[in-house]
Amino acid sequence: MKKNFHINGSVKELELSPNDTLLQTLRNNNFTEVKCGCNEGECGACTVLLENKAVNSCQVLSMSVQEKEITTVKGIGTLYQPHLVQTSFVEAGGDQCGFCSPGMALAAYSLLQENPNPSRDEILVALDGNLCRCTGYVKIIDAVELAARKIAAEIKETE
Amino acid sequence: MLHQNLEWYYPHTIEDAVKLISQQGVILHGGGTRILKTSSKSIKGLVHVGSLPLNFIHHTDGKTSIGSGSTYDDILRYAHKTNRLSLLAKALSEAASTPLRNRITIGGSLKDFPIWSSLYTPLLVLNAHLEIAGKKDEIISVRDYLEKGIIKSKHLITRVIVDDAPHVAGNVKRFSLIRFEYPVFTVAAALHGKKNVISEASVYITGVKGRFKHCKRAEKFLEGKSLTDEVIAEAGKYFSAKFVSDYRYSAEYKEHTANVFFTDLLIELKGGLQ
Repeated sequence: MKKNFHINGSVKELELSPNDTLLQTLRNNNFTEVKCGCNEGECGACTVLLENKAVNSCQVLSMSVQEKEITTVKGIGTLYQPHLVQTSFVEAGGDQCGFCSPGMALAAYSLLQENPNPSRDEILVALDGNLCRCTGYVKIIDAVELAARKIAAEIKETE
Repeated sequence: MLHQNLEWYYPHTIEDAVKLISQQGVILHGGGTRILKTSSKSIKGLVHVGSLPLNFIHHTDGKTSIGSGSTYDDILRYAHKTNRLSLLAKALSEAASTPLRNRITIGGSLKDFPIWSSLYTPLLVLNAHLEIAGKKDEIISVRDYLEKGIIKSKHLITRVIVDDAPHVAGNVKRFSLIRFEYPVFTVAAALHGKKNVISEASVYITGVKGRFKHCKRAEKFLEGKSLTDEVIAEAGKYFSAKFVSDYRYSAEYKEHTANVFFTDLLIELKGGLQ
């Protein structure tokens, strides 16, 4: 069957089954920036934003979120116009294999939207559902702090 | 895996939702996390509670009412903003992870009571109540909900009611090797009193044989006493809980650890009753 979903600021008609998770629906409809890791809600690779809050898309049934705004990592920035969170991950070395990066970036983006100046502990809590097998997390947390500084500087510049 | 021909329902009234779940194989859907864990083929239909007016938290007449559609994150935000529900907030902040807390609803967690849940323990010690809609609409204590087997009936929890507790020092501790792991057990205590003297104690543990235990001997021992080092050391002798061995830990190990956690919990409460 086909249903409308609000994704990255526009309405998209997606093909799905009533028992599909949001992860399955998104990936089956070419939103492959959403990664499938554990499929059990433990790794955070499939993170998307639902009304600006990070959720594991593998733990959400698609038919329950038709009216909600869904944001994937491509919704916060593009290859040619990346968001400051995304450039900060590159600059701080927070990306290695890149598999966890879409989820990490979205969890960080969600945090900074709400709390532009988080403490290191607050960053740890916001990213507690996102696992990385490469970096050891230090550079990821550095990246979030760097993004916070850059966003603050950008706001100051525009004032 | 869930059935491919699953039927979805989006009721706008509590009455309609209750009627829908009276059908065979039709169950409620809150955040969906628990349903996906079980993914039973016997589920024929899901009644999505997101379309019902159950996402609220408000405070009136010394009571906080939490709509059953509120997520763990909603409750944590409310607790942070108002300085209320601190014991519940402590338990919920340690449960699951941020993206799951953004999705798990309190109603779903209560209805399913997974063995690892840390939600019931603080609600039991705070003597919280549930408003339920079903064959009979009623407000019952969380304890009766479990003990009288109401949890097994077809119903919709509409709200959780937690009384203000101005002279209560409370604490909750969960045992898991890493933060992310499901807890083996969760122990909680609420001590009522003034000037460091306990007038009434409430102690519960979940994750035990029979799911939860009301630790009446420990409560009786604590009542009328101050939390001195000697009293805390002695209290452990009155606290006991029976466990089932599993692939991670033997029952004996859990019993010993639960006792240590209970003592630690009391140590942290020392001086808390002003």
